Amino acid sequence: MGHEPVAVVGIGQTKHKKRRDDLSIAGLVREAAQRALDDAQMTWSDIDAVVIGKAPDIFEGVMKPELYLADALGGAGKPVFRVHTAGSVGGSTAIVASHLVSSRVHKRVLAVAWEKQSEGNAQFGLGGGKSGSIGAGGAFAPWIRAYIRKSGAPEHIGWQVAVKDRQNALRNPYAHLHLKDISIEKVRESPMMWDPLHFLESCPSSDGAGAIVLTDKAGGLAAAADGRPPAWVLGTSMRSEPSSFNGRDPIRPQAGVDCAWDVYKQAGITDPRNQIDVAELYVPFSWYEPMWLEGHDIAPVGEGWKMVDRGETAFGGSFPVNPSGGVLSSNPIGASGMLRFLEAALQVRGAAGEHQVDGARVALAQAYGAAAQYFAMWAVGSELPSS
Amino acid sequence: MSTQTSSTIQFPYKRTLGPVISRFFSELTAQRIVGIRSGERVIVPPMEYDPETGNALEPDFVEVGPAGTVVSWTWVAEPGKHHPLDRPFAYALIKLDGADTNLLHALDAGSEDAVSTGMRVAPRWRDEPVGRIDDIVAFVPGETPEGPAAGEAQDVQTMDYFSTITYTDVLSPTLERYAASMRAGVITGQRCPQCNRVFLGRGYCSVDAITLGEEHEETLPDYGVVSNYTIVTPTPYPGQKETEPFARASVVLHGDEMVIAQQQIIGIPVSEIRVGMRVKAQWFADDARNAAEITSKGWGTVAGFIEGWLPTGEPDEPAEQYMNRVF
Repeated sequence: MGHEPVAVVGIGQTKHKKRRDDLSIAGLVREAAQRALDDAQMTWSDIDAVVIGKAPDIFEGVMKPELYLADALGGAGKPVFRVHTAGSVGGSTAIVASHLVSSRVHKRVLAVAWEKQSEGNAQFGLGGGKSGSIGAGGAFAPWIRAYIRKSGAPEHIGWQVAVKDRQNALRNPYAHLHLKDISIEKVRESPMMWDPLHFLESCPSSDGAGAIVLTDKAGGLAAAADGRPPAWVLGTSMRSEPSSFNGRDPIRPQAGVDCAWDVYKQAGITDPRNQIDVAELYVPFSWYEPMWLEGHDIAPVGEGWKMVDRGETAFGGSFPVNPSGGVLSSNPIGASGMLRFLEAALQVRGAAGEHQVDGARVALAQAYGAAAQYFAMWAVGSELPSS
Repeated sequence: MSTQTSSTIQFPYKRTLGPVISRFFSELTAQRIVGIRSGERVIVPPMEYDPETGNALEPDFVEVGPAGTVVSWTWVAEPGKHHPLDRPFAYALIKLDGADTNLLHALDAGSEDAVSTGMRVAPRWRDEPVGRIDDIVAFVPGETPEGPAAGEAQDVQTMDYFSTITYTDVLSPTLERYAASMRAGVITGQRCPQCNRVFLGRGYCSVDAITLGEEHEETLPDYGVVSNYTIVTPTPYPGQKETEPFARASVVLHGDEMVIAQQQIIGIPVSEIRVGMRVKAQWFADDARNAAEITSKGWGTVAGFIEGWLPTGEPDEPAEQYMNRVF
């Protein structure tokens, strides 16, 4: 007996903002979770188990917040547990929840991921509570310099991604940043934050949450029969590697390559560039778009930036990346991976509204964390997988 | 004798309370305690969602207490610095009059003999309310609240929470030897017998998962090449001391054995740092070297021993060969 097919039948997210001063942490996760339940046409009592994901507790200063959140997520008397894999956690949370269904442990699982960055300071947290934190931007900037140098990419590629994702965000009412007058000039002239990264090539700090409801084959088919097509999970994978050892390729980490091919294999994808219709990739700094196109073998090594340059990753291009606006437009850290995963599901359900990619039938979502060393990816499709 | 290191992390968090806890704290500033109605029950402190059904609760607030009955308790004979009172006290579950759930709070009863299940207690109010649970300093025996006359309610929407935590580390034998070597001005690494990679003060190979011990240790050069860097424009946050752009560089030790990340290049402006630049360690003076930055949660660090790296002025090494070496 093979795995149970898994269907995403409910999707919800908050309006992401710099500071959601109208909501407690419980209220924030609740807003996303309630929307996912409503979308699935379920109530709290329909849910068998709850999986919660977020990044380090030091960001809000609430230790083990999943315990306090059990009430807000209808967790009484149910299995509730926490996933933590740094920045990839939103993706890992969706994957762990999907495994609870595919393994037939549960039939209906709620997965919620969140961050309320306004309650603390991520630079402080990432710096271990000390002065002189380099933050995520400072950690990735040297690798981005190496990518630029090795690939020979012109510097406007980074500016172009920064503009493209902000323009996509204008189509997404939930996105944090709505920069109506974003332009190449504005990005280029914005302050140099982490040389070679400009301020506008970097993600914002956001409060936000994302949630999905996953169910089994029968539940997915019932939703489809009711005119609410689900997103079917075609493949999931998580991979890790040490942050630091001689011989590591941090520009194209092996864990990211392996993670992608594990998903492709499960999903029957042999030519990712042509068999995937839309991708949501974790791009907190503009240059990570071409880096992940290469890091997941969507483009040949050294060619990712050319896809960007030709406009192929733009909305309406032949391989749209981050129609939601991506991490560059909303970054509730722990939820950022979940937002990629749920956007992929929205796309193949045909439910993405103004940021819907025409004819999206197979979508890829990816999240990465820490020193580009933890990866979570899934592929979802509009059709029930045959095997 | 084992070496201990200690580090303290402090940060002022700011909680958004949301509509329900905000109301509870606002009422406390006027010396009123409110619960929230959930069906037939009154939940105190009020919650946003019913803990049993998960249903959202309507904002139907009910004033309770201020006196109540002790349902259960435990005696704290030796209060620590994080306890609400500096003298022995009880933590008590108190069912306030009109409430259906118990409130956990401190009970200032003087002695353990004075505490019993079923006893009546009332709040002692703080002199200057701030809109937090410790606006009730503690409960005291009897029916009568203590404290100043009640004032007007304040609108409390957020709560400042100053977090401070101190960690104490006992260093592993590997880190002990590493620290001793660094105090003597010598960088010591451990070479994996399987993959030939060198690591600083880890005690294991990250790639092969092999334990590395004293027999795998060797002296490493204290000079090398800048493999990559970033210039950081500092953002302000509590505890941040940097105000001007600063550089953090990775240095690959001579022989391409080991990369040391997040180093300062000294003696030149940050704008002159280059990939491929050859540098030499600038050690702190003997009596200024310390192991405070070494913790059992991390790996060997040169912080506390090497102040930064000075350009040697020798011709650069080719950049491409080194750029990937950042961590």
